[in-house]
Amino acid sequence: MINKNNYETFFMSYIDNELNAAERAAVEAFVLSDSKYAAELAIFEKTKLQATSMEGIEMEDKIFLYRFPEMQASLDTDFKKSLYKKQAPVRKVLFTPNLIRASIAIAALLILFIGVQFYKSEVPIKEKAVFANANSLLSTEDNTLSKANTEVLIQNENSNSATTNSLALNRKIIKAEISKNSIAKTNTANNTIPAKEEQTLRINDINNNITSPINTSTVSTEPVSEFAADTKLNEKELSTNTTEAEPNETAKKNRMTPTVYKEIDIEEDDRTINIGLLEIDGSAFRGITRRVSALLKRNKLEKEK
Amino acid sequence: MTDLEFNICVDDYSDGVYRFILKISKNKEDAKDIVQTAFEKLWVNREKVETLKAKSYLFTVAYHLMIDQLRKETKIIMTDSFDETTQTVSQGSSELKQLLMQAINNLNPTQKSLILLKDYEGYSYQEIGEIMQLSESQVKVYLHRARLILKNKLTHVEKMSA
Repeated sequence: MINKNNYETFFMSYIDNELNAAERAAVEAFVLSDSKYAAELAIFEKTKLQATSMEGIEMEDKIFLYRFPEMQASLDTDFKKSLYKKQAPVRKVLFTPNLIRASIAIAALLILFIGVQFYKSEVPIKEKAVFANANSLLSTEDNTLSKANTEVLIQNENSNSATTNSLALNRKIIKAEISKNSIAKTNTANNTIPAKEEQTLRINDINNNITSPINTSTVSTEPVSEFAADTKLNEKELSTNTTEAEPNETAKKNRMTPTVYKEIDIEEDDRTINIGLLEIDGSAFRGITRRVSALLKRNKLEKEK
Repeated sequence: MTDLEFNICVDDYSDGVYRFILKISKNKEDAKDIVQTAFEKLWVNREKVETLKAKSYLFTVAYHLMIDQLRKETKIIMTDSFDETTQTVSQGSSELKQLLMQAINNLNPTQKSLILLKDYEGYSYQEIGEIMQLSESQVKVYLHRARLILKNKLTHVEKMSA
């Protein structure tokens, strides 16, 4: 029942119309008992909002809330499907075929250019050597032996071409042989020359006989003059040994082959490629170009397979 | 629910839902958006919702949309838009009513919603509980607390004026 401890709850429920008829009657009787409670109920009633205070506030654009049958119209599914658009997936291609072809072409051009440069640098050395030999031989017109030697050089490749070419192309070979001769000289002095050394000395003696007139007639550089001087000494010193070595001419020809190998080694030392101001080791670069060409061939074969 | 019944609901309840939301959110655009969304949901679920319960359904949806909106806002900006509206509406009303409106504006959204649903819409505790997903006793307790706050405010002002 309502009393002075719980009257507020009853008053609030009263103004909220949450009391039944009996409870409402009890509240009204309680209020009449004391004017203080009547004043308090009046204040609670003032807390209740009047519906009139919100009048005039209306929803704007209410028209959009209405629904009409036309608004329910829908398109055919087939027509809807025709409206759909599909975008092709975009692929990111890093190495396009054209790019690969272009890079291969550039690489090929580069290799070709380097090859041409390498060829150019290699050819003049040989040409120079041949021309120098020819000039030196031609300059000694007075000497009939030198002419004969040039003819022999051109015609008879099997016999003396290796030795004459080696002498004409490179002085170092001759020097090496001279050093051998000097060794042989010491051996002769001691009268203990082996058969092999005698043979080599004979070959050198022949070579010296061929080249010595050439060197003496031409205005040569210092190393050539030195060589000439050395050959003269060899002539004198080894003249005694020539008679002993004559019978074994077939063995002499066989011994001529090592000089050819020495010539190849010396050529490799001179291989340098000049690209502008750059100097590149020819033998090393040749190896690279060979590897690249081998790779390209391999790729080509794989593609063909 | 037929198209006609739905349109009748628009006529009867759209203003009430709008006022209810506007009173709490104090933002006309937000209130309009919420009302539109509420009616959109009613339209979508018109087969399931009975016509008699359409009003309750609209208030329930609108109330929860508004609460979601208020949660999204980290800070509730007390705009003057609603105050201007209420001032225009309450022109000629007594000073006490203005004080009451100010006191209601200072209540939290739940208390405000309870007062509005009870006083303006005349919902019972049970109906309010359904709309706000509260028990009947919770509605009673929360509403009475709000009433006491308002009463104390009015009493204090009356004493000051006296």
